[in-house]
Formats: sequence, structure tokens, C-alpha cells
Amino acid sequence: MSVAQPQAATAAPVAKPLSVVLEDIVQEYPLPGGGCTRVIDCVSLRFDQPGINMLLGPSGCGKSTMLHMLGGVRPLGVVSPTGGRVLIDGVECQGPHDDAVMVFQRYANRPDLTVFDNVAFPFRLRLWRERVAEAEWRQRVEDILKAVGLSDKRGLRPAQLSGGQNQRVALARALVLRPRILLMDEPFGALDAQTRDEMQRLLIELHRSWPCLVVFVTHDVTEALVLGDRVIVLSTQPARVADDFQISEPRPRSASWQRARETLALEERILDQLHQASPGKGQLRVTI
Amino acid sequence: MSEFWNPYAALAGRQRRLLGVAAVAAVLLLWSLLAVSGLVSATKLPAPWDVLAALAYLGWHEGQSMLLTATLWSVGRLLVAGALVIAIGIPVGIAMGAAPRVNAVLSPLVDPFRSAPVVALLPILVMWLGIGETMKIAFLFIGAVVYLIPMVRDAIQAVPQSYWIGARDLGATPWECVQRAVIPMAMPRIADAVIVGFSVMWTYITVAEYVNARQGLGQLIQNARRFSAWDQVFAGIMVIIALALATYQFMVWLKRRLYPWETEQ
Repeated sequence: MSVAQPQAATAAPVAKPLSVVLEDIVQEYPLPGGGCTRVIDCVSLRFDQPGINMLLGPSGCGKSTMLHMLGGVRPLGVVSPTGGRVLIDGVECQGPHDDAVMVFQRYANRPDLTVFDNVAFPFRLRLWRERVAEAEWRQRVEDILKAVGLSDKRGLRPAQLSGGQNQRVALARALVLRPRILLMDEPFGALDAQTRDEMQRLLIELHRSWPCLVVFVTHDVTEALVLGDRVIVLSTQPARVADDFQISEPRPRSASWQRARETLALEERILDQLHQASPGKGQLRVTI
Repeated sequence: MSEFWNPYAALAGRQRRLLGVAAVAAVLLLWSLLAVSGLVSATKLPAPWDVLAALAYLGWHEGQSMLLTATLWSVGRLLVAGALVIAIGIPVGIAMGAAPRVNAVLSPLVDPFRSAPVVALLPILVMWLGIGETMKIAFLFIGAVVYLIPMVRDAIQAVPQSYWIGARDLGATPWECVQRAVIPMAMPRIADAVIVGFSVMWTYITVAEYVNARQGLGQLIQNARRFSAWDQVFAGIMVIIALALATYQFMVWLKRRLYPWETEQ
């Protein structure tokens, strides 16, 4: 698939120095019978390179909660985070940040709007209407639709699309804002294996033309190895950083690389670490 | 008969229509037999053909149509009350659904009326508003709005939170989330509430026109009853049923046209 270059790709998000920091994050939830349970325990992370960062951990380990903190989407009725700070560009971040856009697993595409209007949705909001002139955002929507391969589906509604196409719409709606930070919450978790492969390849291509900082939450070890410049392994209950390493292999990573002895060793190391950190808890997936 | 007990089996359209027509025909036949047999006196149950004749008489007699005049008056009252129900009830319901504080204040004032005898309010409305049009429209309005407001509130609250969160993340203000994400998603169910509101108003129209009406279908029935013209009473009731049904069908059709995406999901 050919990817249309977004117009401002030269004025890339990297132009502005980037800094996303999680500082001693603690998250506790009250238990129904009194007391509370700690799901995240003193996690500190720093992101300052425009790459794909994978937050890998078993389901229910609190990695989505962490991502939601970055996106400023806080759960109702609970203080989040219980302790620690989230800093974007050195400023403590309480609510949704203009430079950070989320893509959810359950795509929040509007069933009443066409593909075009779903992608153009942010520009109906005052914040973006004031920042981007209509002629420009229309062009941007056209470009991103072409980039995700949905130009010919622009007039259809979400119910007329497949799961993968719906997730392309969600991805397009996030990228049309040219965010410096893209937060992805198990975006391909609900898709079948083949569609997930396609979406991973699409994300790699899109990231090449718009190299923003991606924080990508997954419980799929293979997905983490295929996509990540950096993989952060989280233990569960409570979540702590069990491992944090870089992968320098250029993307897209070939099937032979995925089957290479070093890759398999890496995979084994991740599973070992998780097992030691939190034996018998949570679910991980390996798809190789 | 193997498919007799099966809630998921769809009947062929032809078979469904045939069974429906047969049921109506059976009732008409039974009614005719009762009338012909003389088992029930004509003063208690007029024969179907007498009702038909009364319908024709009301429809056109001495150069004027009593039925048309009465229908126009009733429909007019219903439309005025309906416009008020929509203009006031929908915003109130949306505010209650979208703002918990508004709901906490208004729900003890609105919810009890759903099960309250609205008809019992009529004497009070007469006392406050007199016996003119204002009273009739106010009665229809109250009768329908107490159903509509809670339904609109529930429609708003039934919208999945993910749409709100998604819009919030994209930089929408809380009010923009309600306006651009929640309300559009609630519209089909709000339309259902309006349809119920109009059905309720059709059931109350005769009561509204009970007091001092000079025109209207309720008055027409009331007047016929006073002269024991039971064939005309039956004819009037049938016209109201037919109009209520036509309103319902039209509004359901309109709703499907306006929100085709609802059934796609």
C-alpha cells in the first residue's frame, strides 16, 4: 500500500522537543468491602524520542490505566493517579492534552456519521475549528483517508465497514490532528490475526510519514516485538516495570527475524520475567 | 404446525396480512351476527352498517362535514400541545439526562406524575385556566410531557460513555460532548419518546374536549352520547383510533427516514 505523505511531514512533530514523563505513579482503587487495592506501584517512565513505545503486560495489569493518565481520561469517582505526576513537556497534565490523542480498542466511531464525517469530527469542535481553516482540514481529511486506504469508502457509515476498516477510521481521526503523541489502547486487540497484521503494517507506514511519539498498550508479546522501538514490560497486581529494552531492527520486521533465535530468546526472556514478577496472574498472548 | 411456537420465525408478509384481515373480519362478522340476532338491543350495540351510515352522515350532511371540522379542531389542539411538548419536554429531558444535579432537582417533581392520575388534574386545570382552549392544550401537554421527559432523560443516559470519553479526548468541552456526541446518539430514542407522547395525547383528546368543547372529536362523541346516538359514538371512536394509528405510522416512517443508521447496528 502506498502512503500519501501528510503535507506537513517535513515540519514533523519532532521539530518541537518532546517529553512525556510518568513520575512515581501509584494507582489504588477502593475495594467494595473497605480498604483499597494497589494496581500500579511506583512506576516511573520517560519518553523523549519519537518512536513506537510498547507497554506490554498481562490483561488487567493497569497498563491501560497508565495510558489513560497520559491521555487525561480519568475514571469517574476515583482520584487518578493516587500518587505521582504526569508531565507533558515539563507541565503537569490534569485533563486531556491537545498534543495527545487516543485510539481505543472499542473504536468510538459514530454510527450516524459517514467515514468522512467521522474523521472530520474533531474539526466540528471549537478547539480545532479555531486552529485549522476549513480548506486545510478538508485537505487533511482527504490525505489521511488516502493514507489509510479508505478514500473510496468516504460516504459509508461504520456499520457498512469491517472491523479493520473501522479501526482505520479511528486511526485516521487521531492522525488527522497531526498529534505529537499518539496513545493506542490495545487498538488491534479485537481484530482477527490477518487484519491485525495489516493494521500493524499500516501503523508502521503511517508512523514513517508522521513520526510522532507512540505509546502502544498491548498484551500480545509478538505485537510488541513486531512494532516496538522500545518495549516496556509490566508485571501485574500491582504493575511495576519488570523490563525496559530497545529493539534496533528496522521495521517492517521480516518473518525470518521474528523466527530468529535472538527474537525467540527475547520472547522467552519477557515471559520469564513476567512469570517471576507475578506468577500465575493475568493473561499474555503469543501469536508466532 | 412445527413452527407455531417460535418467537424468531418470520411469517411471510402475505400470510401475516391474511391472518390480520381475517381477525378483523371475524370480529365484524360476530358483531353483525349479534346485531341481526337481536340478542343485544340496538340501543346498546349499533349494527356495523348503522355505524357506517353514521360515519357517512357525519362525513357529509347538508353541505358540511361535521367530522372534518371536528377532526381539524382536534388535530389542531394536538399539534399545538405536541409542539409545546417537543419544545419544552426535550430540552428539559436532555438537561436531566446530561446533568446529574438537574436530574436530582427535577426528577422528584416529574417522575411521580408518570403513575399519577393525570385525568384527576382536569378540575384543577379548569379552576386555574378556565374552560377555554388554554385549559385543553395544557391538559394534553401535561398528559404527554410527563411521559416524554423521563424517556428523553433515559435516552441520554443510555448513550455509551465511550462516545463522551472519545469526544473529550479530542478536546471537546463538556457541553460540546453533550451537544456533538451524546445528543445525536440519543436522537432515535428521543424520537420514540415523541411518538409515545403523541399516542398518549390521542388517548387524552376526548377527555380534554369533555369540558365545554364547541368543536372537536371528543365533543362530537360527547354530543352524540347525550342524544343516545350510539352509532355516532362508535363512529367517532373509530375515527380517533384511525387517526392515532395514522399518526403513529407516519412518525415511525419519519423516524426511519431521519435515523436510518439505528437499525444498521
